[in-house]
Amino acid sequence: MMSGGRRSADRRAVLLAVTVLLGIVLFAGASPSAAAAGPSLSILAPTNDQIVGNGTPVIVSFAVANFVLVQPGRVGQVAGPSEGHVDLYLDGVYSRLLTRVEPVSLPLESGPHTIRLELVQDNGTALNVSASVRVITTHGPAVGTPTITIVSPKPGPTISHDLYFALEVTNFTLVDAHGQPNAPNEGHVQLFLNGVLHQEPRAYDLGFIVDMPDGNSTVIARLVNNDNTPLTPDVSASVTVRILGAADPTASEQVTAGVSLILALILLVLLLRRRNAARRVAQPNEKS
Amino acid sequence: MNARVLAFIVVTVGVLILSGIAAPNVRAASAPTLSIVSPTPNAVIGNGSPVVVVFAVTNFNLTDPGNGTSSPDSGHVDVFVDGGWTANASVNTIVLALPSGPHTIRLQLVTDNGSALNPNVTASVAVMVTLGPAGGTPGLSIFFPREGALVGTDSTVSFRVTNFVLVAPGGPAGVPNEGHVRVLLDGASYADLTDDAPLHLNLKDGAHTVTLQLVDNAGRPLNPDVSVSLLITVQALVGRVTPFDATPYLALVNILLGLGILAAIYRKLEAK
Repeated sequence: MMSGGRRSADRRAVLLAVTVLLGIVLFAGASPSAAAAGPSLSILAPTNDQIVGNGTPVIVSFAVANFVLVQPGRVGQVAGPSEGHVDLYLDGVYSRLLTRVEPVSLPLESGPHTIRLELVQDNGTALNVSASVRVITTHGPAVGTPTITIVSPKPGPTISHDLYFALEVTNFTLVDAHGQPNAPNEGHVQLFLNGVLHQEPRAYDLGFIVDMPDGNSTVIARLVNNDNTPLTPDVSASVTVRILGAADPTASEQVTAGVSLILALILLVLLLRRRNAARRVAQPNEKS
Repeated sequence: MNARVLAFIVVTVGVLILSGIAAPNVRAASAPTLSIVSPTPNAVIGNGSPVVVVFAVTNFNLTDPGNGTSSPDSGHVDVFVDGGWTANASVNTIVLALPSGPHTIRLQLVTDNGSALNPNVTASVAVMVTLGPAGGTPGLSIFFPREGALVGTDSTVSFRVTNFVLVAPGGPAGVPNEGHVRVLLDGASYADLTDDAPLHLNLKDGAHTVTLQLVDNAGRPLNPDVSVSLLITVQALVGRVTPFDATPYLALVNILLGLGILAAIYRKLEAK
């Protein structure tokens, strides 16, 4: 009886030991993230779809909970699910390794970007704990409605065929287009002469149209995106100038015509006097 | 063997094995290593962006320089750009603002007092920095005037450049998507443009061919060639209205009147 009871107790002990061992294996191997109670990662700033204006770098602030940031590769380091570092991906491309919870400054090209942070163990194993944020960066202001005004020339007549066009732009930053993505309140100016696209002045340069035709010409200045599409709604200004052609030769014509008149009068007087003289010569003959 | 003892041994061995699996790097204290994770070798860094170097170390503790304790397994990283010391780092990410051109970045583990490890532990990577975009095919087009247009003596040619940034000539050769525009007039070199302001021309009457070509900093055409040509006809005073001038005709009338006066005077004198 005692032997049977003892055997039964031994079996229970072995079973218990195997169960504990199995539990440890499953606990340590199958669900490492459960070892530390839920590491978490959140991005505090910027907010999703935030527009970061004026060409300033994007400052990413983040918080980590239940996870200790340490330098990977330290002497004697033991990888565990509760410590590691943060990998930063910019537009899907690995960009930085962060071991300190402090703001990260990212100078980004204008356009939309996605910033993703991910918790990673010391041995490089990802914890599947990540956070991401979409931002739009621009050299222009983050808010405000763009406007454009043609400061010079003023509407009306002008004698010059070569005209500079001075523009005043607000709430919009002019950049030289070279194929970069669109960004809010950022782009360049297009000048249309009588409806035909004529030129795209460099950023903050004056427009300069030469050899304009005589008569009325309408120049439209339009703000466009980096890809040359108009803003929505359209932002443009126009001015109509009248280029005076070559001066009418009225002065020389009048002088010459005046001389002609004088000469004609002289000739007329001479002819009349000759005629009268001829009559005076003829009359005595008639009397005789 | 007692089953309880057996169970204890099984559990103990299991725990020890698992400890070993979980912390393999504890098993042997190896020499420090250093590797560059990012950027990849020969990466092109576009838009003049700073180069962000991410490196990894093993068996080495990164400490801020000057903390006073020098040991072969702790210290910081010295950063050399193109052979010259540039910075030191005690975190795994370094941001370097570099000018256009090819660069070699070398990292070296050093102890706190700045001495190299023995054996030396370094890693290096070559990168290319450009003010232009990192990718994309350069493009060039003329949007004014149109092909075959009739223009005046003074005229402008407006063009667009895409995926390419215009810079002053003389920069390092071989930098992608960066350079200037070469202007050829009737096949002869005319000007180099370093920005996309309209090209101002002053040409004699007749047909002319204007060719724009993208070239690199050394003045070599891109491969493949990126160029565009435009045929224009120049005619002086295009678009000018010339008003009617009667002066010559009036002058002729004056001459005739003058002759008439002279004739009248001559006859009068002759009559006397």
